[in-house]
Amino acid sequence: MNNREQVAWLARRAAFGLAPGELDRLADRGADAYLETLVAPELHGIAAGGDPWSGLTFSDDPTKRRAEGLALAERWLAHQAGTPRPLVAAMTWFWHDHFAVSYTQVKSTQPFSRYLTLLSKHALGDFRQLVTEISTDAAMLIFLDGTTSTGTAPNENYGRELLELYTIGIGNFTEADVRAAAAALTGWVVRPRDDYSTLFVRSRHNTAAQTLLGKSVTDVATVVDAAVRHDACAPFIAAKLAAWFLGPDYDTASLAGFAKVFRDNNLAIAPLVRAILRAGLDGAGGELVLAPLPWLVAAQKSLGVNLDTGTAYRYLTAAGQAPLTPPNVGGWPGPAAWLGSSATATRVSMASALVDLAPAASPVLKAAAVGDLATLASLLGRPGGFTPATRDALTAFAATKPAGKAGAAVTAVALASPDLLVA
Amino acid sequence: MLSRRTFLAMAGGAAATSAGVGAAVWAALVRDHVDTALAGASGSAASELPAAPGTTRSSGASTAGHVLVVLQLGGGNDGLNTLVPAVGRYRDARPKIAIPEAQLVSIDTLGYGLHPALAPLRGRWNAGQIAAFEGIGMRAQSRSHFKAMDTWWAGTDGVTSTTGWLGRWLDATEGATPNPLRSISLGTGAPALIGERSLPTVVLSPAQFALRLPRTTDAKAVTAAFLATAAPASAAPWQAAAQSAIPSALDAIAVLDRVRAQAEATTVDPTGSGPTGATGSGAVARAAADSATSLLQTAAGIIELGIGTRVILVGISGFDTHSDELDRHQDLLADVARAITAFFDRLQARGKADNVLLVTTSEFGRRVGENASGGTDHGSGGVQFIVGPAVKGRQVVGEPALDRLVDGDMPIGIDTRSLYALGLDWLGGPTDELLGARFDRYGLL
Repeated sequence: MNNREQVAWLARRAAFGLAPGELDRLADRGADAYLETLVAPELHGIAAGGDPWSGLTFSDDPTKRRAEGLALAERWLAHQAGTPRPLVAAMTWFWHDHFAVSYTQVKSTQPFSRYLTLLSKHALGDFRQLVTEISTDAAMLIFLDGTTSTGTAPNENYGRELLELYTIGIGNFTEADVRAAAAALTGWVVRPRDDYSTLFVRSRHNTAAQTLLGKSVTDVATVVDAAVRHDACAPFIAAKLAAWFLGPDYDTASLAGFAKVFRDNNLAIAPLVRAILRAGLDGAGGELVLAPLPWLVAAQKSLGVNLDTGTAYRYLTAAGQAPLTPPNVGGWPGPAAWLGSSATATRVSMASALVDLAPAASPVLKAAAVGDLATLASLLGRPGGFTPATRDALTAFAATKPAGKAGAAVTAVALASPDLLVA
Repeated sequence: MLSRRTFLAMAGGAAATSAGVGAAVWAALVRDHVDTALAGASGSAASELPAAPGTTRSSGASTAGHVLVVLQLGGGNDGLNTLVPAVGRYRDARPKIAIPEAQLVSIDTLGYGLHPALAPLRGRWNAGQIAAFEGIGMRAQSRSHFKAMDTWWAGTDGVTSTTGWLGRWLDATEGATPNPLRSISLGTGAPALIGERSLPTVVLSPAQFALRLPRTTDAKAVTAAFLATAAPASAAPWQAAAQSAIPSALDAIAVLDRVRAQAEATTVDPTGSGPTGATGSGAVARAAADSATSLLQTAAGIIELGIGTRVILVGISGFDTHSDELDRHQDLLADVARAITAFFDRLQARGKADNVLLVTTSEFGRRVGENASGGTDHGSGGVQFIVGPAVKGRQVVGEPALDRLVDGDMPIGIDTRSLYALGLDWLGGPTDELLGARFDRYGLL
């Protein structure tokens, strides 16, 4: 990869793509500098931007549940495309997939927005702190039944997923560990009538010391400590993030190195992400299939337009990835899911809706209208050009001067093509 | 994980030509396939191909037109509150969420009653069209959703497999010209249908499955250009897989358009006050798009088109009832009962029911004892059903071994692969070869 290609690679995988003109500006400063501003924006004078949820109303009125959920999703999508700290937003999205919580069960935007704020606050921060806070987060307590888990009859839902999905992975714990974690985590309740604040109620807590992963645990702090200090934790999280950024077929010889970076930095997330992205720039990455949401955000960014919330949410639902409502506790399925007929057809529909919104003067549409495919590819984040199949298809199609707004149909096909699906 | 062979086989000569020509070839290929398939709408499974050499057929009638429908209850259905055993230990373990005896739906099978929401299935049960497995599962499944789902999908009981139990059947019996609509998944992804060569068509939401193209453009031209990006195939596997998804998606859209048109042409009782009440056509038409009821209606429409679809996977979720189980399970089971009833009623009315077998799957049963949240945690052995006119029903295979719990769970007495063996027999096999051993069918077919 040359410098421009490296910048575009980082943008596609770690920054929700690029706005028009951004590639030139970033390439001038180089991929290494770009990586640093992504990983440590606070050290490079890049402000966080405003609170994406400011001004949202939380009525907690069941008849407004859907509208308020959509408003939250709209803010989030706009934030992902517009934030000056795109890797923080991309990692927040990763953690939403990792610590998957669904609005369907939480049912109120107040705890849900707080859950997202928590994910964002620690997105590149301290993993142990993130796990500690998520363990008593109101949305999570509601979603995985912490609120109804009591000392006399612990509910295993959160305890199991804490070990299996969030920290060490299957095969590294026993059923007795699940019971121990569940018992030690009891006692937390959420008070919906009091702004969804959380409260520890001693009488609901199982005070007996439990043995979790060989350690004596009694509460959230000791449970999280036992889990994140386990030998399996660093490689588990490192492997998940590596596959997330580098694709499922990345060079796994680099995994031990990633895990070591994570461990050596006391489970600080930023150094791990930096190491993974650095390895990607050096060629350790494989193909990566973009999920529908990152695909949509990148497409919106490159055209400078946004679908209205109802439309975006409807399409993302049809494609299988409505934000706020992951299908289950494990988050969204792997890359093969985004090759299904639903995701494929919906990509065409989203691309079409986007080009209809784009002004004819948009640089993307102008390049498409005249069949300037090198420029078109570059504007869509592929400075190395399209693959032969897509290039030939677009060349032939552009030559027919397709009906409709100039450049719109060609741009739609380019956006929906396999080239923009595989980052 | 994904193979390019299906795609390459379909592309034929097109892969070697320029994309300009490729577009035309692709367009013709998709059009030809759908037209030919739809022309066979008489229901004779027009595009179904002869069995691959060496495959064994079960004795008796031909299985060539048989369709297997798998209804996947995601989250781990609570078998004990679905098919309720008449044993005291059940009530002892569940002081708050046991189904009161007076509410159970009685059936002509000693020792069991159905959850009240399953009342619509009583007639079929007593007519001998439904059988159940009690304490079914796989040794390797574990209480993890994901491990358990992988174990069920693979059908190898813990041996790592990149293919699903139905994907291997699809591979073994695929003809020279693959039909991308031979296996279809509705409402869920389809790891069970993934083969070395076979890729299922996955439609998450049939109600929202359509192409919206840029305004004032020529729809055919845009679609053809999109199709042209699918060939020639890339050497990079994921890129090639993304390419191969394009003709499948366009094919599926053509078919589901036809299913929708058919549904609209069918008279629907808008009041829902038809003679069968909760399962009347109005209630079916009003069912949520992601409900089993709605998805199985789409499945019925696909079967009626006779386009050579042999396996349909229908996925619904929400069975992970850790809390508030009484209310949630009621709604879930009501949907399942309405779905199965309306599905077979419709197929029966069109003379197609005899070709269809439906089985349920779910990754695990739930803990025998209830938790403090009015729900149940992840368990082990569960309950599954097999439904259809061909079933030797009105019986429960296995037993609710509540006196021999393993770590608080119902033990697994029946291997899931017995259920799979029945499904694969129905499709024509070669069952034992595909499952790697002979599993008892318990005489249910």
